[in-house]
Amino acid sequence: MIKVSVNGEIKELPKGLNVSQMIEALNYKTKGFAVAINTTFVSIKSYEETIINDGDTIDILAPVQGG
Amino acid sequence: MNNTNDTWEIGGKMLNSRMLIGSALYPSPSNMEEAIKESEAQIVTVALRRQSAGEGGGNNFWDIIKELNINVLPNTAGCHSAKEAITTAEMAREVFGTNWIKLEVIGDQYNLQPDPFETVKAAETLVKEGFEVFPYTTDDLVVAKRLANVGCKILMPWGSPIGSGQGLMNPSNLKAIRKQFPELKLIVDAGIGKPSDAVEAMQLGYDGILLNSAIALAQDPVKMAQAFKYATIAGRLGYEAGTMQKREFASPSTPTVGTPFWHQFS
Repeated sequence: MIKVSVNGEIKELPKGLNVSQMIEALNYKTKGFAVAINTTFVSIKSYEETIINDGDTIDILAPVQGG
Repeated sequence: MNNTNDTWEIGGKMLNSRMLIGSALYPSPSNMEEAIKESEAQIVTVALRRQSAGEGGGNNFWDIIKELNINVLPNTAGCHSAKEAITTAEMAREVFGTNWIKLEVIGDQYNLQPDPFETVKAAETLVKEGFEVFPYTTDDLVVAKRLANVGCKILMPWGSPIGSGQGLMNPSNLKAIRKQFPELKLIVDAGIGKPSDAVEAMQLGYDGILLNSAIALAQDPVKMAQAFKYATIAGRLGYEAGTMQKREFASPSTPTVGTPFWHQFS
């Protein structure tokens, strides 16, 4: 297992997951969000090839109200 | 009642409304929806924030906005560095499916004043990445020049600090930016509090206004949305019509020739 930070919370995940597998493992049900790892944007087309590493900081953002 | 004779272009889109409206701070989602509809704005600002896992019920806010079928302008609110703003913009492009970005890089937490150095740095990268950058900036002419130099076609100087409702703090600076950049699209963003502030901004020849708090925090946001709709149109028409020159002294508007009882009572 590895430890990562997801939206500021420490989570444990199996080693070697890609972004798609991570999203599934974290139980994200809604669509329409974007992912950044260690403050770098990861596009949907890179999900399969991007592997989550121990200590990564992951941000998952979705639409909200804004001015 | 948009001024349908007044079609203008911004970011590659032809619009009839010169008012950009925010989607935050309304008493309820339905009130937000009604106010946006009443404003007849064709651009609405939105943002991105962390989403919790397991929220199976969908995104009510985003569903409402999509239903409105108007242009969405995502912002980078809350960013304090060029790097953060660039990453947020890239994420917004994917989520919202638009290359428009309201670039907001805050330099001071007290008055939410934009950081000019980081804003210019971020704008330069984002323009190169193909974004249509709507940079939120102060009314500083030199910063405006720098933003134009890195390829911004739109500038959004503040009227006064975000959410303050203080109106236009420095109309002469805003006027100087308008004069210096006749070819750029200029929007007064932030600080507008009253419909008369919108009129004033539009009379300066600005192409539009962007506001949120003034409507959302009004006693009746829907009615205030209507007031701003008319104010924006009135200000634009006033600008196009050309205001009269101010005079030092009074000058009668009613003809003096044929005045009855001329000198009879003196």
